[in-house]
Amino acid sequence: MTTGGFTAADPGGPAAAGRAADPTGDRLDFAIARLLSIGTCTGIALLAIGFLFMVLAGRSPLEPHAFLHASRTPGELLAGDPEGVLWLGLLVLIATPSARVVASLIGYLRTGERGMVAVSVAILVVVLAGVIVGVALGETAG
Amino acid sequence: MLIGLAMLGGGFGAGVFGSLLGLGGGTLLVPLLTLGFGLPLREAVGVSLIAVIVTSSASASVFLQRHAANLRLGMTLELFTAIGAVAGGVIAFAVDQRILAGLFALLLTYVGVSMLIRRGTDSAAAEPAHETTNVEGAGAPPPPRSRGWTAELIDRLSGQGYRVHRLGIGFVGSVGAGIVSALLGIGGGLVKVPVMHLAMGVPLRVATATSNLMMGITASASAIIYLLRGGIDPYVAALTAIGVFLGASLGSRVVHRIDLRILRLLFTVVLLYTAFQMLRRATG
Repeated sequence: MTTGGFTAADPGGPAAAGRAADPTGDRLDFAIARLLSIGTCTGIALLAIGFLFMVLAGRSPLEPHAFLHASRTPGELLAGDPEGVLWLGLLVLIATPSARVVASLIGYLRTGERGMVAVSVAILVVVLAGVIVGVALGETAG
Repeated sequence: MLIGLAMLGGGFGAGVFGSLLGLGGGTLLVPLLTLGFGLPLREAVGVSLIAVIVTSSASASVFLQRHAANLRLGMTLELFTAIGAVAGGVIAFAVDQRILAGLFALLLTYVGVSMLIRRGTDSAAAEPAHETTNVEGAGAPPPPRSRGWTAELIDRLSGQGYRVHRLGIGFVGSVGAGIVSALLGIGGGLVKVPVMHLAMGVPLRVATATSNLMMGITASASAIIYLLRGGIDPYVAALTAIGVFLGASLGSRVVHRIDLRILRLLFTVVLLYTAFQMLRRATG
């Protein structure tokens, strides 16, 4: 069974069986690990700031909320609107795994692994398809 | 304000116990938000997907630094989990929420019974002995390396000390894991880890770490659909994500100091009771 925790099952360790043998793969692993950390911490920090803004504004969860409109978010953010900061934090979190795929794509392009380049591009296409499907189907009652 | 703190605390609890018990946050978070805070099930699933992304990104970062996850294998399989997740995201808005509640009741029952069976032993994934005994080819001559792009792909996806096989089962299982993840707001490791470990010959520790890595893109592919269809409350998602993040951080630090046997038994009871409540919702 897999874990939702960070190291609950602790599959890591110095003798992890999946250790990549190539230094290029090691470097890519480290670069992606750093990217994931930065993305997660940035997203969580934005959510925490948005939460503080919500508290200061006297807003409560479970109140009817606005749907996401990407065009509104920059304006809301500049105006210090708590919801705008929350949306931005959520988008950063959702985009972080895709950013990891983009980083992998760049890494595999550099090493000339055409198969993994194709896999990376295909994943991004599927994620983009999700965006298109979401937009096409439109908003619905939650 | 109070309800906000309660949600933060709920997310924290789900993160701590999820981390201690080796469960994805969604398994605990969805019932908590649905039964505890009265959120519609579909919205709870959307919020849970955000929590899954957070835990996946944070844990995958650790696993990659330790070279525990197989990035090539994870990316190849997550192409299929992402396809399943997009399909699941569409299905989730097309089916009655009572069906989702019924499916969740089944999931909770399965997890509860699995925990009961495993009671008395430590987490299987934490037992190094399992790893070597399941490395494909251990003690046997390596399979012939041959011919064609399939063999080349298998070479690429295999790691040091093991060689993957039955890629087709892995692809199909990954699509299934993606659908389940999108429908129920879980990471899908319940499907992915057994498929990788038992069918594909990936050592359990590598399978667990690789599954964690894959969860992020799987959950984000369907979370986008939930987000754009208005299925995610930003305030609830923020509070629970922060809570899960902090809780899982704490859980991973104290996991080795706690006797999990009693905790597991207690949680089995909680999960089965929650399954019953979900079933009532599905039938009522």
